[in-house]
Amino acid sequence: MNEAVFYIIAFLVGAGALLSVTVRDIFHGAIWLALTLISIAFLYFYLDAGFLGVIQILVYVGGIMALFVFAIMLTAKIGDRSISQVNRQFWPGLLIAATLFVVLGKVVMDGPWMRLQAGSPVTDLKTIGTSLVTSYVVPFEFISLLLLAALVGAVVIGKVKK
Amino acid sequence: MNYPLIDLVFLVVKGVYILAFFAVNAMFLIWLERKVSAKVQNRLGPMVVGPHGSLQLIADTVKLLLKENIVPSSADRFVWWLAPFFVAVPTIAAFLCVPFSNVWIVRDLNVGVLFICSITSVCVLGVFMAGWGSNNKYSLLGGMRAAAQIISYEVPLLLSVLVIIMEAGTLSMQGIVHAQEAGLFLLKPNVMVAFLVYLISATAEVNRVPFDIPEAESELVSGYHTEYSGMKFAMFFLAEYANLFIISAVAATLFLGGWIGFFRPSAVWFLLKVYGIISFLMWVRWTLPRVRMDQMMAFAWKILTPIALVNILVTGLLLVLKG
Repeated sequence: MNEAVFYIIAFLVGAGALLSVTVRDIFHGAIWLALTLISIAFLYFYLDAGFLGVIQILVYVGGIMALFVFAIMLTAKIGDRSISQVNRQFWPGLLIAATLFVVLGKVVMDGPWMRLQAGSPVTDLKTIGTSLVTSYVVPFEFISLLLLAALVGAVVIGKVKK
Repeated sequence: MNYPLIDLVFLVVKGVYILAFFAVNAMFLIWLERKVSAKVQNRLGPMVVGPHGSLQLIADTVKLLLKENIVPSSADRFVWWLAPFFVAVPTIAAFLCVPFSNVWIVRDLNVGVLFICSITSVCVLGVFMAGWGSNNKYSLLGGMRAAAQIISYEVPLLLSVLVIIMEAGTLSMQGIVHAQEAGLFLLKPNVMVAFLVYLISATAEVNRVPFDIPEAESELVSGYHTEYSGMKFAMFFLAEYANLFIISAVAATLFLGGWIGFFRPSAVWFLLKVYGIISFLMWVRWTLPRVRMDQMMAFAWKILTPIALVNILVTGLLLVLKG
């Protein structure tokens, strides 16, 4: 039964992703993307990584998706269905995407995958928190810097010129 | 020992309990709100159906169930149809981690507090969808305002919850209650500040006066659910009052010690505290005027968020000094 649950979730992730790029209405696309992101959170819950699942919903669905939808609403005419979904770079883009798909597929199918030996993954918050500020402190600080730069950039762009 | 079928039956029974509570609680709260507002405005409120209008909500429910479902002709049907579910379902899911008593909790997740905060943030999407799908300028404006407000006030809300998490050292709802058995967190000054910030941001999260700009009936008709009728409107309404219950339940658990009380059963204490907070919020709603949009956003970003940030710093310092 557990495996069936996994396949249902995987189907939702795939179907949402596929629909989000194929539907014509960009707002519908955003909703399907939300389905994908929520289903990925389900996947984390299914794999006993509750913390990750909760953060996935909080950051991606509550934060990033809301920003996406905001951007759609604030951009005039983007919800218009008559806009073409592709531009001149359709064929080169397709080629690159197809190549990447084949390569990734081959790696996934052939690669010897390390399996976690014992027990469930670390979900203890204390461990996560401590490792964030010890072993992973450099990437952690880099991300903070990146976010700060984005914040300053947003203020500069949004500032009314006098 | 593993009986998947029996587990499944238990899960379904718990789900039915939650759904029943979701509906009955909302009905009771709507009646209470009408009575409180009447009291504040020196009138009687619903009096005709049943003693003191206590059966009014049953009549209203029947009316809403029987009403025609009107779809605006220019609505984006798919989005319009989906929006009420996006608002109602996450709210129901949040009940998963509400500790009604020391044993009455559907699942005591080890990330309980974060689970409630994150799952209710999905409602923003539903509000957006309702505003967009209705294809109506008032709905769209209301939806945009609601979303901007919910996203902004989520920041101080989470930051004030963080103070409690630091004090308790756990994210589990039951764990936080147990951590308060020795003494309520609320007695500490930094937690008092956090409680205040939480209450203000929570009021904004559920779009209540003084922060009800998304609905502002005098300018926006009723905001993002203007075009909804019948059962669809009822879902928004139910979700609104369930959300009110959720934020009050979180406040009661984090700041007032949840089900801790002087005698058993402990669920009584939990419900007393929750409905106490709800009554306070109703009192606020019917007493204060509405603030302006820019005032509200400035308040969240320029006043509440800095206070909450400094408060976290102070809490951290105190905890380190204490050892």
